[in-house]
Amino acid sequence: MIRRTAALLLSGTVSAILGVVAQQAVAQVQIGDKGKTGTIGLYRNQRLPSDGPAPKLADGTPDLSGVWLGSGSDSADIADPKSLKPGSEVDMLPWAQKVVKGRLSKQDPEANCLPAGIPRGSPYPWRILQTPTHYFILYEGNIHSFRQIFMDGRAHPTDPDPTWYGHSVGHWEGNTLVVDTVGFNDKFWFDYKGHPHTEQLHTIERYTRTDLGHMSIEVTIDDPGTYTKPFTTVGRATLMPGAELLEYICQENNQDLPLLEGPARGPGGR
Amino acid sequence: MKPCAAFVCFLWLASVSPALAHHSAAAEFDFNAKIDLSGVVTKVEWTNPHAHFYLDVKDSSGKVMNWNLELASPNVLIRNGWKRNSLKPGDMVTVTGIRAKDNPAFGSASVITFPDGHKLTFLAAGDSER
Repeated sequence: MIRRTAALLLSGTVSAILGVVAQQAVAQVQIGDKGKTGTIGLYRNQRLPSDGPAPKLADGTPDLSGVWLGSGSDSADIADPKSLKPGSEVDMLPWAQKVVKGRLSKQDPEANCLPAGIPRGSPYPWRILQTPTHYFILYEGNIHSFRQIFMDGRAHPTDPDPTWYGHSVGHWEGNTLVVDTVGFNDKFWFDYKGHPHTEQLHTIERYTRTDLGHMSIEVTIDDPGTYTKPFTTVGRATLMPGAELLEYICQENNQDLPLLEGPARGPGGR
Repeated sequence: MKPCAAFVCFLWLASVSPALAHHSAAAEFDFNAKIDLSGVVTKVEWTNPHAHFYLDVKDSSGKVMNWNLELASPNVLIRNGWKRNSLKPGDMVTVTGIRAKDNPAFGSASVITFPDGHKLTFLAAGDSER
């Protein structure tokens, strides 16, 4: 068996590594008779995607279906320059700066088993389903919910009721799925640090399957109620070939909440 | 830090970062409060967002404290080789990990070692510390 170690970028701190792991695709690769296996995110001994081009559906539409792990931003700190598009910066209005400073970890909606929103990710995989009129993203975790993206050409409603995942319409630009979402409530946090938003939030997600096993995800976040200018995050996802979604009902036995102390911060403390 | 073999880093991460999940581990656990417990498993909760097991630990005076020890979620454990009965009531085990900041009998289990030497970790089944 040939064994090689793929690049796992490690900086000197635990927190930096923690930030990487949720989006980390492949930490170790083993190549044997049955194809490549290795670690994807938190998961060991997984089948790794084969090399090859991004597939297409019979009508030529890019095929994004499958179980994926990864996200479009740094879930520990969305403002970390390492997960921002070059030239982008997160510049909060004064009220938002004050809110971030005052937030506590135990107030994090995700810690309360509420949705992570967009584009915050989790260590759990998700699946994209494509139908002619609707695309769905099925989330294993956070919170075992789903998003629906209307692909039938409809417009956003003029006065949408605010919701956790908003109202999403999608279209294709070449091989990139562009998802435009408005109608968010103001409840979810962009990250463990508690970066906020208002109901004015407008996101544009760009999903590009760059090859068989990988997808790039860019998300432009425009919320003039919270940030002085739009910014764009960059992330990626890795296909988990053969994987199936499992159940994750966060509300079942959430014993952690009363034990969370102190200011909102990432898993490793940053 | 000198870059280490990626898999070793993964395991090290598993041992120091108990909750890459739905809440901040740094807010819940004292990374410096290491625990090293031996006792008998009294209950296993195969639940989300974390599996838990409970361990009766006897101190030097004979007093028994029932610890609540946290693991990853069942979906993570299953993909990493755990089964729901990998750990059962009645098992005698040694557990290393870290303690919660706000509960003296609550911890995050890094490594569970059985008398025959086989190990389970917060994330994975198998002798994965080596």
